[in-house]
Amino acid sequence: MTWLLKDPVLLAASSCASLPFIAMAVILIGTRRNPKLSAAISIGAVATALIASLYLLVTLRHAPGPVEYEVAWMVSSDIHIPFGFLLDRLSLLMLVIVAAISFLVQVYSLGYMAGDPGFSRYYAFQSLFAWAMMTMVIAPGMLQLYVFWELVGLASYLLIGFYYEKWSASQAGKKAFVMTRLGDIGFFLGIITVLLGFGNLGILDMNEAAQANRIPQQIVTLGALLIFCGVMGKSAQFPLLTWLPDAMEGPTPVSALLHSATMVAAGVYLMGRIFPFFAASPDAMAVALVIGTITMLLSSTMAMATYDIKQVWAYSTVSQLGFMVMGLAAGGYFAGVFHLTTHAGFKALLFLCSGIFIHEYHTNDMRMIGRQGGRRMKVPMICMTIGALALAGVFPFSGFFSKEAVMAALAGSSNKLWLAAGLFGALLTAYYSFRLIFFILFPKKDAAPDDAHHGDGHGEHHGYTYWAMAWPVMILAGVTLVLGFSQHWLERFLTEWTAAAHGVEASHAGVHGIGHYVVLATAVSMGLAGIFWAYVEFGWKRAKQEGFLRRYPRVEAFFARRWYLDDLYRLLLDALVYCGLTNAFTRNDRRVIDGGIDGICRFTVGSGRSLSFLQSGWLQYNLVIMVAGVGLMVLFFVL
Amino acid sequence: MNALTVYLVIAAVLFSLGLFGVLMRRNLIAMLISLELMLNGASINFMAFNRFLAPEPAVGQIVTLFIMGLAAAEAAIGLSIILTLFRRLRSINIERARRLGG
Repeated sequence: MTWLLKDPVLLAASSCASLPFIAMAVILIGTRRNPKLSAAISIGAVATALIASLYLLVTLRHAPGPVEYEVAWMVSSDIHIPFGFLLDRLSLLMLVIVAAISFLVQVYSLGYMAGDPGFSRYYAFQSLFAWAMMTMVIAPGMLQLYVFWELVGLASYLLIGFYYEKWSASQAGKKAFVMTRLGDIGFFLGIITVLLGFGNLGILDMNEAAQANRIPQQIVTLGALLIFCGVMGKSAQFPLLTWLPDAMEGPTPVSALLHSATMVAAGVYLMGRIFPFFAASPDAMAVALVIGTITMLLSSTMAMATYDIKQVWAYSTVSQLGFMVMGLAAGGYFAGVFHLTTHAGFKALLFLCSGIFIHEYHTNDMRMIGRQGGRRMKVPMICMTIGALALAGVFPFSGFFSKEAVMAALAGSSNKLWLAAGLFGALLTAYYSFRLIFFILFPKKDAAPDDAHHGDGHGEHHGYTYWAMAWPVMILAGVTLVLGFSQHWLERFLTEWTAAAHGVEASHAGVHGIGHYVVLATAVSMGLAGIFWAYVEFGWKRAKQEGFLRRYPRVEAFFARRWYLDDLYRLLLDALVYCGLTNAFTRNDRRVIDGGIDGICRFTVGSGRSLSFLQSGWLQYNLVIMVAGVGLMVLFFVL
Repeated sequence: MNALTVYLVIAAVLFSLGLFGVLMRRNLIAMLISLELMLNGASINFMAFNRFLAPEPAVGQIVTLFIMGLAAAEAAIGLSIILTLFRRLRSINIERARRLGG
């Protein structure tokens, strides 16, 4: 093991990639009976990973190029698939994000999950999640990435279905698992396509070869489109988006947060990871742009029609992911990744704040939280407002900078339609997030207040556990306040190599000018208009707190039912799977397999029955037959 | 017609009469008697073959003695079965005994 100690970078990377796994194993095998010890192990592991990842970021900040550690894993003639670590700037950034968010969430869970019978199990799953996510982030090859991608899916399934006794939670877990799996089929086919067409799965090799046009164009397009299927599944893009809001149904805002800030971001991360590969195929980029735009608009409208506090944030996650995909697909590598970074911070913040409300008031309904006095909880209220301001893209908050970057990238594309869609999306985002804020901040008395639940000893939360929840929230709020100002540093950090090597930022670089400021001003005013619009309808003293949607009940129902996507899937499932495939299989089973066995049985029974007349119970008939038989035998042998 | 054939014909007639009796009579005791006839037919066969085809060895005679022992045992067991059946059914008619079948 001395070689490990000689290379602190490798030591740090491997501790990121292994400690949470060890923590999970220890918890599952040894310390399930001792929740406090389990939590300590899990948090300790993730804290070490966080320190290690920060160390890596600091050490490798000025590294001249990506640092790679590889072990040959599968070698067959000229194909070799490595296993190891790839530490470049994107993976370092993402590693820190994942470790930090995991750490904060695990600390927060000390409060939120306190007293839960599954406390140890919960921390084991959290560790599994952190391990899978971090190892996926630093994977040097597509296959390793895919393996841990699936493990992330597994961890999410376990966490969403954490309260497996609850029917809806277990259903939501299954739905998340199955729907992301649908996308992963495409992803895997994409990997195979690349392997067949290019013969190498190393991420750097793929990117480089695609940029240098050493891979046939059709292979790049097909591979990129298929891999994008994985992105669609994991990041809840358009056709596969309905699992994410259901995932909120699951256990806690904590796992919900994981799904907003890290797991679903995995899809976007993947797209950023092989961005040069993607960028080599204009067709794939166009498809991604369309999908991202549809996702963004669709989920924004859905968020306008729900009253469940977590679902609003879930839809908003989907729409922000749509934004990221749009940014990436428009060629804004940095814009997409930057939005991913800031979004991880403020969406985690929003979810954790909602978690405090939910923990306090035992309801997910934003109207109930408002009526029961949610505004009096200063810490989550202020922090949530900060998060919402960031989400709406108001100036000093981190969301502002990243959203501007995305808009600039969109403005850089030739077709201004995308920019218009993005601006419209920004308006909707501001509207629905402040609709929620105003519901809690300015509750209206006229609707019958439900005080039954109020004041029955909630003081118990305001001890240790409350602060375990409040501190991560405040830290995240602070991060949300300052993260935006790191934009230029981050941009240089992330794009230095890529810009030098491939010039992929060319489209982005072109919009710094007067046009850029026009876009910026429009985007900001869109956000402010959205907030104002929400204020007029929900915040204002005489506002009726009935959105304009209420006047179009059909449209509202349409949005609230998620554009009938679930019903459409149900219909397709019924038509294709249940009536088509299942029916055919059932028939095969009934007719051919069961039929064959039944036939054999019937033959046996029938022949037995037809011979059973011999057993009449008539002694003398038996004797006659015996004599006749002997006679026949005699005849046979004699003649 | 030599002597062996005569014995064989007599044995066959005896056997057939016995078989006829076993098959036709409903009375169990009559069936038992018919069975004795069949056994005797068989015995005559053995004796005749022993006498005419293998004069020296006594195998046929031993078999006949064996058959006689068997017949005695069969009579004892058969009669006790018939007695039991009679106690149960108040009849020694073989057709009544059908109800013993499962």
